[in-house]
Amino acid sequence: MIPAAHIGHYLVWVLYALPVLIVVAGIVYSTRAGRRREGEDGS
Amino acid sequence: MTLLPLAHALSAREDLPVPAWLFAWAASIVLIVSFFALAVGWRRPRFERARWRPLGAGLARAAVSAPVQVGCGLAGVFLLGVAVYAGLRGTEAPDRNFALTFLFVTVWLGFPVLSALLGDLFRPFNPWRTIGRAAGAGFRAIAGQRPAHLAYPQRLGRWPAAVGLVAFVWLEVVYGTSGGVSVGLDPQAAATAALVYSAYTLAMMALFGTEEWCERGEVFSVYFGMFGRLGIFAVEDGRLGRRRPLAGAGSWAAIPGSLAVVVASIGTTSFDGASEGAFASPIEWLAERLLDAGLGVDTAVRLADTVFIALCCAGVALVYLLGVRGMRTVPGAPSLAKLRQGFAHTLIPIALAYLVAHYFSLFVFQEQAQFTYLLSDPLGTGTTDLFGTASSGVDYTLLSANAIWYVQVGTLIVGHVLGLTLAHDRALAYWPDYRDATRSQYWMLAVMVAFTCFGLYLLSVANA
Repeated sequence: MIPAAHIGHYLVWVLYALPVLIVVAGIVYSTRAGRRREGEDGS
Repeated sequence: MTLLPLAHALSAREDLPVPAWLFAWAASIVLIVSFFALAVGWRRPRFERARWRPLGAGLARAAVSAPVQVGCGLAGVFLLGVAVYAGLRGTEAPDRNFALTFLFVTVWLGFPVLSALLGDLFRPFNPWRTIGRAAGAGFRAIAGQRPAHLAYPQRLGRWPAAVGLVAFVWLEVVYGTSGGVSVGLDPQAAATAALVYSAYTLAMMALFGTEEWCERGEVFSVYFGMFGRLGIFAVEDGRLGRRRPLAGAGSWAAIPGSLAVVVASIGTTSFDGASEGAFASPIEWLAERLLDAGLGVDTAVRLADTVFIALCCAGVALVYLLGVRGMRTVPGAPSLAKLRQGFAHTLIPIALAYLVAHYFSLFVFQEQAQFTYLLSDPLGTGTTDLFGTASSGVDYTLLSANAIWYVQVGTLIVGHVLGLTLAHDRALAYWPDYRDATRSQYWMLAVMVAFTCFGLYLLSVANA
């Protein structure tokens, strides 16, 4: 069992994963926005 | 006795001005800024043609002349012989025996860095190529004809080298450190492995031809040659010439299995970094389960390590393939197979960055030993002092732990920016519209940010 006092130590990897998640979220947003624009131009 | 730490940084980091994870954020920002700078200022491919230019006639000819080639080859054979002899006949203490530091530090870490700067330096020094060529020349002289070889199965490509690369690292970090012993491989095992590998390599050269096997199957030729594609010198048509840095990398992955080689390089280095840090607990957990299942201690630890090496390689491949799949969604994208092969070379600078970042301190410290007491007393028996340096030691104060950390961070950032640059350049060649090319590279940006943050996480845990 992970001692509660050390939980921050074990979860530090989340801080390293955040930049990746932010970039991926940016890509998904930008791709959806692009598709929406293309759809509006086509209609 | 001081034990040879074959894997990691030697001392804990002192207090940094900001938390280590903030370096990952800063590195990500550098990558994002670099990405947009490339999008704005780099609008036509520059690396698709290597633009090789011969050096001045005298120097170009002298560097690749027969006497120089023979001299380099003989030096390679001699040094391999010294390492094997030292391993078999020298002390069992890994830090006092020439064999381990020479094979696993000087050669394994030195050639990638030198090759990435200067070109494929290992080729002239390759001891097996030298023996293979000499045997071929002897056969021609006696039989009056060229030796007949089997046709190499093209679909196999560089897969034998990829498997051999994993096996080499496995020997070093799994077989050598199993059972909780931190001394690494014992010198005799390293020498025996070198002899077995030599016999295997020479047999393959006899079957398929020396140059063919060096290009595709010989682990060290393929591995060092991969980094050599980043360097500025290359031999073409028997002449030495110069090309743009990085420009030789574009055509490297055309042979099947090349992606496996570069993925294996990043995956195995990641495992080495994680095995005593981030993955230490899961590996221990799995080893305990295997022990409970009735396996012996050594077998359980080695099997657990082997599973995690495989997971590391699979994880690296998965991240890359997700990036490639993302690129495929951009209009005008080539086939998935073409994208997968076409961007594999962009991982070469990352493989180098991982290698340098992970082993930088080990290299700096162990090379002091290599060029002092190990050179003077290769067997480590205390009975010889060839150059009067047998009593020298390693100065562990040469680098502070923080200096090592800054070098690691800097190396990872530079490596990933170079990877991003290669990917951007290749995208411009695949998509006629530079805006589509830039959109396709959003995905490679995510791949590069992922590898940078993962690398820094591994280092931060290992050094903590």
